[in-house]
Amino acid sequence: MHPFSVLTLGIFVAGYITARWDLVTRLYELAIFAWNYGVVTRAAKGFGVLSLVFLVVFIPVQRLATLESNLHPRSPGSEDDGLMRVFWPTDLPRSDCKGVVVGWRNSALDVLVVAVLEEVEPRRVESALKLGNLLRNAPHPVSRIYEQCGKSSISVLGVSNTPDTVEVDSSWIRVTITPKQRVPSVTCARASSIQIILFERPLPGRMQYMSLNPIALALGDKHDGFRQDFADSGEEDDEKRERLNKETKRKLVEKLKQHSVVKRIPSPKERALATIVNQINWAWELEKLLQQNVSRIGTRPKRALSVSERVVESATTARDMILVWLWDMITIYVLPVIKKFFVLGLMAHRVVAEMLLRILEWRLRPRYAALKDISATAQQVEIRLQQFCYWPMQYVTLRLRKNDWASVTTSHPDYIRFYNSLWLVANDVIIGMAFGSYIIDNAGWVADEISRLLTTYTVEALQSSISWLMGWPAGLKLNTELAAFLGDLFLWVIEYWASCIETIRPMLPRIVWIIGFSSFAGASMPLALFSDLLSILTIHIYSFYLASARIFHWQLNILQSLFHLFRGKKHNVLRNRIDSCDYGLDQLLVGTILFTVLFFLLPTVVVFYLNFAIARMAIILFKACFDTALSCLNHFPLFALMLRVKDPKRLPGGIRFELRDTQDFGATCNNNNPLRQHPSTSVISLQPIPLDFKSMFYQYFQMGNRIRKHYLSPRVALCLLTGKFVPPLNRKNLYSLQYSMLPAKRAGVMEMWDAVNSLPASKRKSMPVQVPILANGRRFPSNYGGGRSRSYG
Amino acid sequence: MLTTTPYLTIRRPSPTTAEFTLTTCPPLTLPLRAALFGVLCLRFIAVLSVIIGIYSAFFSPPAGPPPPIFPSGTGYSLLDFDLNNFLLHILHLLYVSRPGQSLASLAVSLPPYAVLALSFVTAYMALFARIHTTESLLVLRGLGIQMSSSVGGGNFFRLGGGTFMKRTRFIPTEKIQDILINEAFKGFEVRYYLVIVVEGEEDVVVCFPRLLPRRKIVERVWRGARGCLYEKDGPVLSAGAGGGSGSHGGNGAWRGGNGNNGSGRGDEKGG
Repeated sequence: MHPFSVLTLGIFVAGYITARWDLVTRLYELAIFAWNYGVVTRAAKGFGVLSLVFLVVFIPVQRLATLESNLHPRSPGSEDDGLMRVFWPTDLPRSDCKGVVVGWRNSALDVLVVAVLEEVEPRRVESALKLGNLLRNAPHPVSRIYEQCGKSSISVLGVSNTPDTVEVDSSWIRVTITPKQRVPSVTCARASSIQIILFERPLPGRMQYMSLNPIALALGDKHDGFRQDFADSGEEDDEKRERLNKETKRKLVEKLKQHSVVKRIPSPKERALATIVNQINWAWELEKLLQQNVSRIGTRPKRALSVSERVVESATTARDMILVWLWDMITIYVLPVIKKFFVLGLMAHRVVAEMLLRILEWRLRPRYAALKDISATAQQVEIRLQQFCYWPMQYVTLRLRKNDWASVTTSHPDYIRFYNSLWLVANDVIIGMAFGSYIIDNAGWVADEISRLLTTYTVEALQSSISWLMGWPAGLKLNTELAAFLGDLFLWVIEYWASCIETIRPMLPRIVWIIGFSSFAGASMPLALFSDLLSILTIHIYSFYLASARIFHWQLNILQSLFHLFRGKKHNVLRNRIDSCDYGLDQLLVGTILFTVLFFLLPTVVVFYLNFAIARMAIILFKACFDTALSCLNHFPLFALMLRVKDPKRLPGGIRFELRDTQDFGATCNNNNPLRQHPSTSVISLQPIPLDFKSMFYQYFQMGNRIRKHYLSPRVALCLLTGKFVPPLNRKNLYSLQYSMLPAKRAGVMEMWDAVNSLPASKRKSMPVQVPILANGRRFPSNYGGGRSRSYG
Repeated sequence: MLTTTPYLTIRRPSPTTAEFTLTTCPPLTLPLRAALFGVLCLRFIAVLSVIIGIYSAFFSPPAGPPPPIFPSGTGYSLLDFDLNNFLLHILHLLYVSRPGQSLASLAVSLPPYAVLALSFVTAYMALFARIHTTESLLVLRGLGIQMSSSVGGGNFFRLGGGTFMKRTRFIPTEKIQDILINEAFKGFEVRYYLVIVVEGEEDVVVCFPRLLPRRKIVERVWRGARGCLYEKDGPVLSAGAGGGSGSHGGNGAWRGGNGNNGSGRGDEKGG
């Protein structure tokens, strides 16, 4: 402190003490008092006890805690837990030769083996990998490999079949493998226990791949949009309830999650699984590339070609040259013209489709129904047109796939979707041809059948049932006058409708013929047309149902309010509750009389209502059958099913692990090398599981659920009981299945033009065929086989 | 006799990998194998009787001797062998035998739809009914947990301890938030069950959902799984329920309490 400020402070204290001397004396007295009563000794004792407690309890506890935490570290990503993880492809060629194991090192003790390069020096491999020599002559950009596999370089992982005397890096693995041994024995200086995970490499050429999540057969980008629509339409109480249920459930699980005390941060090894699956997908192609280039660094002697082989070589080259010349002629002069015409035709088709789609989607007002919402035929036409619009885009993406490594798996679901819809349309057309030729041949008979069914079931059956209701049905004494009135009304309308049908009848064979002809566009067209025909020809039943339901509903409402009046109550609209009310005598009298009259008339109305409601439900059932058949024809996962049978690896549904028995493995190890102390090893095999049938038909289950929820819910029963109109299932909801294979927004005409024109020219290089130098033939391009065959492919 | 109460077997080739298998199939001894073979024979007989019943009810076979395997007259030669004929011959031989005849008379006396329904039910039972349930939990450090459940044993397609229709589900470690023991009411009893809380999933995942083993087994599996997945020096696979030793045991007991606390909210899912 500065001396001057010390002086100032001293002066201040002295001045204060002199000014307040009484305070000082008070303090002095207090100190004397405390001393006399033993306060100081007590404080000293307390201090002593506290420090004793600190020494005896707290310090040991702290020591114990540090010891324990050192014993069980909880630090994230503690890498050196001594567990080594080796992913090993089972279908690697096995031999006794010395070799270098090459692959991806995901973290210090987590490696994935790609290839075993034989008869090469580890140092040379390392330098070649650094220089990129081993990845030369790659058909596609090499950077793509690193990008997809999530690592910046391939590294040397260890050595195989090398004696222990050779010094290697401590993080390298030593592998011993013989042709007979399926499972390699692996040791590593830094690992205390080893997991060997065997996998079979998926063949990218056959479009096999592995994935953690099941392959998505439907386009999943716009289901939220559909949900949004549901929320808007407001009629989906069930959906809302379901969502609320889900919300509460989610909250419960959230709460459960809060109970986990230690939030473990996953180590890089645990997070690497997705990357590893990608690397497995790449393993096959990468190994081929490495093996192809291994001769660049290998010391394995290469035999020069003999003279006769050279002659054969040059002869095949000459033949190839002629073929290439012919092919060039075709590709330069003929193909472009054909292609141009095809593209123009496609564009013209697209423009026409666009116009038709505009018509089908046109709405008078935003909330009104468009044509496609009303008619099944319009819907069917729209789906087909949308598919036709989507195919070129899909095809373009699939073509782009060819310009990339085969191991890039992102477009495989697209491939399945594309060919699935192509197959389905082809199938549809084939079935449609059979169906259509049958209908055309038997148009007269089919028309007769239809008109017979129509007259029996929609006219005569209705008439007889109404006249049965007008008498005393089942001994039920209805009100004769009201029954006669209602029955006469309906009978009169039915008679009028029958005369209408009579006028249509001569045209029926022609209509059936047209329907039959339309089935050359696919069996789904006549189905949709029949569905529409059914709804047109039974429109009278629909209107009867509407009318009787309305009458019944009114009567029920009136009865309800009159019943309130009967009890001296009334419905308060403002508060939405029942209030008591003072009615006048005349009001009560008239109301009661009306109530009685209406109550006794109710059964008559009910039987008529029930009659038409049952008829209506039957028709809805029929239409549901038609719709189901349509969706089966349109979106049956046929291609996926065939793939599942042919090659299940193309439809990955996840992965599974299997613990192998390691007895034999341990035995062979011990036999080979009884001295070497072997780390505890578990052998696990990693297998892809194919997509299960349940998720293939997931959309169908969903649709079935939706239909069930709509028609078999208590709400519908309530509607039927109270005479409210039961709305048919919204076409859009029913057909969300149909649209799940199509993008939410179709690409415009110009977009398609750009896409079609952006298709790259075919991959074939136009460089002239190299004639190998025959003279003295000192040197050959070492990889002539691979390079040339690729350029033809 | 064919099944036991579920019991636990543990395979653990290294401290970081363990498979807990819970099965109702008793160890395959000779009598058991014989019994399973008997079941298989029963299934075979059931399928045969279904075929004979349908044959006699719907194809109205002639009463005479069976059609010959080889066309009569010419000398026998193996080239004339026709599989269709052969099968028909066998079928007819079975049909004219004494049990076949009694079965046929029964089938004829019943109405056709009853025959169809009966034969369908019998064939389904014979082909697909299962005896044993096996569920297992494979814990791999650094990779995750895999649950699998399979049914089998005495199946028509495989004999003995073979499994049939194996379903697996793999949960990567990074998605696993916690493993705990929960309790729920099932009927009039309290069941303790092992639960995996998975991130980004709306339900918790129940291990051993079919067998729902008793608490002792669940605790053992829980200790083993946690040890395999998280602990540094591997699990302490002691069978002791309450104790254990050192910090590990204490931790376990405490966590068990936690599982019970959480149960009040988890009940709905368990039941």
